[in-house]
Amino acid sequence: MTNKNYAMTIDLQSCIGCSSCAVVCKNENNTDTGMNWMHFIKNESGTFPNVSYEYIPALCNHCDNAPCVKACPVTAMYKDENGLTLHDADKCIGCKACMASCPYGVISYNKKDPHDYWSQQESWSELSATPAEVQEKSGAKLPYYNPERDYNYEAIRYRGIVEKCQLCDHRLARDEQPYCVTRCPSEAMYVGDLNDPDDKIHQILSDDHKTLKDELGTKPKVFYVRNFK
Amino acid sequence: MKLNRRNFLKASALTGLFAAGATQTKPVLNAFSTKAQASEENKPQGEWIASVCQGCTAWCAVQIYRIDGRATKVRGNPNAKANHGHSCVRSHIGLQQVYDPDRVKQPMKRTNPKKGRDEDPKFVPISWEEAMDTIADKIIELRENNETHKFSVWRGRYTALNGILYGAMPKIIGSPNNVSHSSICAESEKFGRYYTERYWGYADYDHENTYYEIFWGGDPISSNRQVPHTASIWGDLKSRAKLACIDPRFSTTAAKSDEWLPVIPGEDGALATAIAHVLLTEELWYKPFVGDFKDGVNRFEVGKTVNEDDFEEIQTHGVVKWWNLALKDATPEWASERAGIPAEQIYRVARDFGRAAPKCISFSSPGSSMVVRGGYTAMAQAALNGLVGSADNEGGVICGGESCPVNDFPEFESYIDSIAEQGNSMERIDHGGRLEFPALKDSKSGGVKLTNTVADAILNQDPYDLKVVLSYWTNFNFSNQGTERWDEALAKIPFMVHMTVNPAEQTHFADIVLPVPHSMFERLSPVRGSNGNLHTHLHMQNKVIESPFDIKVDETEIPWMIGEALEKKGFSNLIDYFRNEFADPETGKSPENEEEFNEIATKMYTQPLWDLSYEKEGDKINGWEELKEIGTWNSIPYRFRQKWDGNWGTETGQFEFYSETLKAALQEHADKHNATIDEVMEAAMQTERGEMAFVPHYEPAYRVGDDEKDKYPFIFSEHRSKLNREARSANTSWYQEFKDVDPGDEAWDDVVKINPKDAKELRIQNGDNVKLTTPTGTITVKAKLWEGTRPGVVSKCYGQGHWAYGHIASLDRKKQIARGGNNNTILAPVHEAMSGSGARHGGQTRVRVEKV
Repeated sequence: MTNKNYAMTIDLQSCIGCSSCAVVCKNENNTDTGMNWMHFIKNESGTFPNVSYEYIPALCNHCDNAPCVKACPVTAMYKDENGLTLHDADKCIGCKACMASCPYGVISYNKKDPHDYWSQQESWSELSATPAEVQEKSGAKLPYYNPERDYNYEAIRYRGIVEKCQLCDHRLARDEQPYCVTRCPSEAMYVGDLNDPDDKIHQILSDDHKTLKDELGTKPKVFYVRNFK
Repeated sequence: MKLNRRNFLKASALTGLFAAGATQTKPVLNAFSTKAQASEENKPQGEWIASVCQGCTAWCAVQIYRIDGRATKVRGNPNAKANHGHSCVRSHIGLQQVYDPDRVKQPMKRTNPKKGRDEDPKFVPISWEEAMDTIADKIIELRENNETHKFSVWRGRYTALNGILYGAMPKIIGSPNNVSHSSICAESEKFGRYYTERYWGYADYDHENTYYEIFWGGDPISSNRQVPHTASIWGDLKSRAKLACIDPRFSTTAAKSDEWLPVIPGEDGALATAIAHVLLTEELWYKPFVGDFKDGVNRFEVGKTVNEDDFEEIQTHGVVKWWNLALKDATPEWASERAGIPAEQIYRVARDFGRAAPKCISFSSPGSSMVVRGGYTAMAQAALNGLVGSADNEGGVICGGESCPVNDFPEFESYIDSIAEQGNSMERIDHGGRLEFPALKDSKSGGVKLTNTVADAILNQDPYDLKVVLSYWTNFNFSNQGTERWDEALAKIPFMVHMTVNPAEQTHFADIVLPVPHSMFERLSPVRGSNGNLHTHLHMQNKVIESPFDIKVDETEIPWMIGEALEKKGFSNLIDYFRNEFADPETGKSPENEEEFNEIATKMYTQPLWDLSYEKEGDKINGWEELKEIGTWNSIPYRFRQKWDGNWGTETGQFEFYSETLKAALQEHADKHNATIDEVMEAAMQTERGEMAFVPHYEPAYRVGDDEKDKYPFIFSEHRSKLNREARSANTSWYQEFKDVDPGDEAWDDVVKINPKDAKELRIQNGDNVKLTTPTGTITVKAKLWEGTRPGVVSKCYGQGHWAYGHIASLDRKKQIARGGNNNTILAPVHEAMSGSGARHGGQTRVRVEKV
């Protein structure tokens, strides 16, 4: 099987700036509060009434020339055969060199074990349950835990390692789009294979597009198409 | 299998070690189950179960991804044509609501008889049996004392099953006081469409065929209406159509529109009438709809009266009267002075809008009409769709839609005994229909039941007090303007039952607290929303998960159990109605318990949709099980122009610019009070008199505190959030973590947005704590300097300021410290009286901003 060369497109004209992508990413990847593989950049400018606003969904750019991969001393950050920049939790020593090197600030470090809230034994009020009770009744560490993430990555990470967007490589492996793409209500996003001349990504990229901080030579693979306004 | 950390953990998860609260760091190796095997094989592990999201009034059909009995994901139901597989960001937040440990876990009762904001209710757990027994005692007491009218059911959000708890039950007990939240939702917007084309409901819009849209306070990619559908076509819409957003706040829709008109709050009516003025003076009205001057010469000239006989109308009634009364002097220059928008921008919007006729949309929303004098503004917005011929036309506006046949619940008249009959005949508690509150829904005086007046009624015992209140899906001392009044009123009610998902501010005043389902995950019920994407529909909520909480369904199961408790005490009419009149449409079996009752009621209501023997135009669904599985029934797409040629349903049969329909309704209301229509207009806070009452016209904004501008120098303007599930989602981390997705707002906070020029004068910087004081109340929040609001107007989002909702929404439970501040504490309890609406928008209050 020939290798793929995955890239993402985000059509900013269609984007409604709603953060669905960021919220559902947490849902798919079981990330805890403050750990966001997908987030956003907001640019506001001008003075009343001539103001402008731009919302840019921001995630790992899966750079072809990825600084995090170069910085990692233990090859926990690596480029896979399909062009993805991936993290191997088993190899990670939590040195944060990748975080320091990433110009996009999209790698997070686990200072503590995620979702420890759910083991708390105290209830908020005499009317309420304890988090531990709800955890027990649901039967999972995180009641809305997604076990499918577990196929090829730690489904919930742990204290002392970093984590970041894997471009839902578990979903791509079964020919599904990443979860953020699938749930985007404005159908603004797409992941395609640049190696496949028939992939619709080439059509999408025939519109005006840009990447973030491409002047740094990172060769980002997330392409922003058209403008938010 | 590689023995790495992940596989260790997988094993330990399956043994339930996590549930016992053990740490992750010392996993135990164990046998792998089929689920673990599925992970190995990268297969989907769950199934999608149909349900409905009720996080806003779009009521989208969704599906829930269930794995091992857990709800893990949400998506739009692909079978539903209104949202075709899409759902908005709010739907996902539901996952954190349903599993919120702060929810009410089991029935509770108050043990501290004293009530007040400062009193600890001292709730203790009770059984469902004790709760029902106590409630039944209170109802029996009312019946013995012939004061059943002092029984009241309060409804917030609801499903189609509300006809049992909210519809039948109060009548059988004997009370006219079923009070809904509808009047604080969007009734004024409906007033506009009703008195032009006689439709009291939400409109649908043909976005896919339109070339110009004016959004009146509308932010349809963020909040009402039909967000997922609008979002899904937004990229194309922007390429095809021009968009103008009229909103005091720089919303995302404003940011993405071609024109932003940051109107001075409450002055939208000036813009709407000026746009109409330009359409007429510049001959841009759509002649195949409105008609033309008989000789083809346009006589609509600034300031000049036109002879009615010179114009021949086609679909409409009264265009010349409207011009003569309200439009001839309403130039963009005139509007500019009022609305704070440059005249040239008003001209440009009006001209581009008119040139797109008839494929252009004037899109009303509560932001510009839930305003003290906003009824006539809504009418003007609706009338614009008449002028450009987009009413009931392709690329335009749909008011009504195709039929979605459902059954009524069985008649209950014969279960109303003489005690109940006397109670039912008493005056209503809510003041709707009084001289000052025409509340003219469906042409009826008092057709809308007011919500916010109930607090005044209780406080003043006018017309009487309430003694037993069953309240569900509500939080009235949070969601109504003037919350402190509500705290006092609730403290005066001797017995109040709060049926609620989360403990809420209203719960603090409850005598009994009953845990109820989160509607998206934990109950079976039909939801009949308004149409979207040209289709009318009914969606099904399924009981997707077994709740971790000890819940009963508020609208069916609890009334059944109260009925059983009442029967034991000698009053069986309620349970007799349920047992005798409800029967499974397939087996004929009567319900024997509350769960069967819920299912049978749902089945009866929806029978026309799943029973193929009923004739209907839409999906063919073969049987009850199939309806639950598919989760939705869709009508055929709307066939346009059904109302054209005399079928508008108005008094004249035409689309009315001069509303004979409103004239008749107002006359009836005036006659009821032996008053003139002018006296009604005065009592209802309107400034115009005479025939102006019957046409869409400009009314100047009304602001509490206008007579003390020195004391309250700013206009307070509120808006909605993309993440608000009607102010019920603030206790989730996803809400707080992404709150800055609302332009100008901050994550984990609730800021008041101030123009930097004003802030400079006040020496206020970003992040300063500021006190907002109005004649109604005070809140303290953080300041945010923001260019998206005009100098003189401060803007703040609704949804936070919960002092008793959970560990995220509320910062300190004991001290009742909220995260942020509730706008309704400083908003005045004022109304849009013509429609009977609570008026929260339009800068209804002035405010003082002080650094603390």
